[in-house]
Amino acid sequence: MGELGLVHQLIIPVFGYTITLNLEVIVMTWIVITFLIIFGMSAARKKDIVPQPLQVLGEIFVEQFYKLTEDALDREKARKYGPLVCALFMFLLLSNWLGIIPHLEEPTKDLNTPLSLGLMGFVIAHYAGIKSKGFKNYAKEYFQPIFFMMPLNLIGELAKIISISFRLFGNIMGGSIIILVVSYLSYSVILPPFLNGFFGLFVGTIQAFVFTMLTVVYISVQVK
Amino acid sequence: MQFDVQTIVQLSAFAGGGVAMGLGAIGAAIGEGYTAAQANLAVSRNPKISGDIFKNMLVGQAVAESASIFALVIAILLLFLDAPGATPLKAAALFGSGLSMGFGAIGSGIGSGFPGGQCCLGISRQPAIGSRLTTNMLIGSAVCQTPAIFSMVVALMLIFMDFSNSPLFPTWAALIGAGMSTGLAAIGSGYGGGLAAGVSCDGIARNPESVANVTTTMLVGQAVAQTPSIFGLLVSFILLFKTFPESQALSASMALLAAGLCTGLGGIGPGIGNGMAAEGAVKWVARNTSRSGDLMRTMLVGQAVSQSTAIYAMVISLVLIFVL
Repeated sequence: MGELGLVHQLIIPVFGYTITLNLEVIVMTWIVITFLIIFGMSAARKKDIVPQPLQVLGEIFVEQFYKLTEDALDREKARKYGPLVCALFMFLLLSNWLGIIPHLEEPTKDLNTPLSLGLMGFVIAHYAGIKSKGFKNYAKEYFQPIFFMMPLNLIGELAKIISISFRLFGNIMGGSIIILVVSYLSYSVILPPFLNGFFGLFVGTIQAFVFTMLTVVYISVQVK
Repeated sequence: MQFDVQTIVQLSAFAGGGVAMGLGAIGAAIGEGYTAAQANLAVSRNPKISGDIFKNMLVGQAVAESASIFALVIAILLLFLDAPGATPLKAAALFGSGLSMGFGAIGSGIGSGFPGGQCCLGISRQPAIGSRLTTNMLIGSAVCQTPAIFSMVVALMLIFMDFSNSPLFPTWAALIGAGMSTGLAAIGSGYGGGLAAGVSCDGIARNPESVANVTTTMLVGQAVAQTPSIFGLLVSFILLFKTFPESQALSASMALLAAGLCTGLGGIGPGIGNGMAAEGAVKWVARNTSRSGDLMRTMLVGQAVSQSTAIYAMVISLVLIFVL
C-alpha cells in the first residue's frame, strides 16, 4: 500500500530555483502521443472513396466532433476549433484508457496534465471572446451587474479552471486509488478486471467527453 | 477509567464505521423507493410489458444501491482492518473517514433513483426504445455516483495514509474537516446530478430522435452540477496534504474544522441548484432539439451564477486555512 501518493521525480536545480519533472507522466504522455501520431498517419495514408478500417474510424471521430462543435458554435468557427476539439478528445480518451494496461499509468492521474489542458482551454476561450467581441465589450462583462462585482466575477472565471481540471483528475485518480485498494484487499482475485472496465473504460470515456464538451461550451459562452 | 491509544483508535474506528453505514443507508433507500413507485405507475399504464419494467426497475435499483455499497465497504474496512500506526491522529482520521463516506452516500443514493424511475415510466410510454433508455439510465446514474466516489477516495486516503509525522494539534481538526468537506458537499451534487439524469430518460421517451443531444446536455449539466463536490474535494486535499505548524491554541484547530464545514455545507445548495438548471435544460432540449446550443449556453451561464455561493464558501475556507 506504500505506493499511495508516491511520485518519481527528477529535480534539477537551475540558478537557485528547482525544476521538478514527474518522469512517469512524461513517459506516459509520450506513449499516448506516439500512438496518436501513428494512428493519424496510418488512417490518412491511403485515402480512398472506399475506405480502409482505420480511415473509417478516423472519419467517425472527425465527423462526430465537427458536428458537436458546429452545434455549440457556428459553421465558420467550427472549422477553426474543430481540429482542436477532436485532438483534445482523442488525447484524453487514450490517456484515460492507458491505465488498464499493466505497468502503464494514466497521464491524467497527475494533476499537471488536466491543469495544463484546463489552462489551455481557458486561454483559448478568452482569446476567442476578445477576438469576437472586442476587448472593450469583453472587459465590460466583468463589471456586470454592478462594478464592485468585478473581483467575484474574476474568481468565478478562475474557479472554472479548477473545476474542469479537478473533475478529470479526481475521477481518474479516484478510480486508480479504489482499484489499488480493492485489489490489495481482495488479493487481486476476480474484481480487478471489472473495476478496470468501469473506472478505466467507462468513466474514462465519459470524463474525456465531458472535458472536451466543457471546453467547447466555455468557448461558446465567451463568443456569444 | 484509563484509555490507551489503541483503545481510542479502536473506539473511533467503530464510531466511524457506524456513522458511515448509518448515514450511507439513508440515500439509496429513498432513491430505490422512488424507482419502485414510478415502476408501479409504469406497470399500471402499460401492463402488457410489466416484465420489462420489472427487470428495468431492478437494474435501476441495483445501480442506485452502489452508493450504499461504497459505505458498506468503508464501514467493514473500519470495523475489521488493523490500520497501520495507532496514534491519536489515526483516531481522528478514521472518524473523519466515516463522516466522509456517510454524508457522501446520501445525495448520490437519492439522485440515482430518479433516472431509474423515469426510465421505467419511459419504457411504459415507448416500449420499442427500451434498450436505448436503459443505456441512458445507466450512464446517467453512473455519473451520479461521482460525488460518492470522491467521498470514498477521501475516506480511503484517511484510512490508509500515514500521518504519524504530523503534530496532533491542529492536524486532528484538519482530518475531520477533510472528511466533512467532501462528504457534505457531495449531498447536493449527487442529488442535483440525479435530477438531470431523470429528466433525460423522460425526454428521450418523449422524443427518441433527440437522444444524442439529450445525453450530451445531461452529461455537461451533471458535470457542472458536480463542481461544488469538486471544491469539497479540493479543500479536503489541501487539508490532507498541507503540513500545519504545531499549535496548542484552540482557534487554529477550529479554523481548520470550520474550513471543512464551510465548503461542505456551502456546496449543498449550489449542487441542488445546478442540478435544477441542468434539469430544465435537458427537459427542453428534448422538446426543442434544434436549439440545443442556445439551451446549453443558457444553462451554463445560469449554473455559473448559482455556483457563485459555493465559490464564496471555498474562498472563506481557503482564507481560514491559509490566512488565519
